Amino acid sequence: TGGHTTEILRLLSCLSESYSPRHYVLADSDKMSEAKIRSFEQKRAETFSKSQFTLDRIPRSREVRQSWISSVVTTLYSILYSLPLTYKRKPDLILCNGPGTCVPVCLSAFLLGLLRIKRTIIVYVESICRVETLSLSGKILYYFSDYFIVQWPDLKKKYPKSVYLGRIV
Amino acid sequence: FRFKDSLAEDLQSADLVISHAGAGSCLETLEKGKPLIVVINDKLMDNHQLELAKQLHRDGYVLYCNCSTLVETLQSMDLAALKPFPPGQPEKFASFLDKVFGLQ
Repeated sequence: TGGHTTEILRLLSCLSESYSPRHYVLADSDKMSEAKIRSFEQKRAETFSKSQFTLDRIPRSREVRQSWISSVVTTLYSILYSLPLTYKRKPDLILCNGPGTCVPVCLSAFLLGLLRIKRTIIVYVESICRVETLSLSGKILYYFSDYFIVQWPDLKKKYPKSVYLGRIV
Repeated sequence: FRFKDSLAEDLQSADLVISHAGAGSCLETLEKGKPLIVVINDKLMDNHQLELAKQLHRDGYVLYCNCSTLVETLQSMDLAALKPFPPGQPEKFASFLDKVFGLQ
């Protein structure tokens, strides 16, 4: 969604073409991100002609302020939906930064890792908006990610296993 | 105006921006190098949105007030005291990932 997409595209901006092909996963209800992504990839293709990417959509796992119990149900549904997608793509790396959409994708990849089907490195970058507290996605994925990156020093203190690189977006 | 795709043009021609505490608005404004006064609406604001505005204020990048103190802030503001906002460094992230994957 909006701010998350802008942030993640900034994170991608300095990556080399080793990080290719890129598979974007969006919530089905997200109207704006697709245009931003296509624009980013188009520009990228101007420099790196062999640049490749795909775009998939999954059901949104949770609406803002959705109740806890119904969130568990909708997230489980999204995980089930994500499993075949993650299995198909078998990514070496999952990069995410906080929208609810990323939780089922990461958890499905984590599951595939446990089942020894594919070991994916999960890198989570908490949004720049999070200075003192983690988002709900962050609180969950702190335990499931391989690298958990925060952008403010207070969070590094509170979550010692995190990585602090300063502001990266 | 209601909703525009991009405020970039308006931001470019502004001398001062007064905004709510939304992260997108704050960062876009600061990145264009425009002085910013963030107005907090305590009743409407979701706590986490305030975190960034507060931090930006603590670091000296923005001025900060609520609806009732806006006029007073405008009258007594010293925009020259605001610090320039350094850009984020995505290259540090790229470097980090390259190390993780042994690409350096």
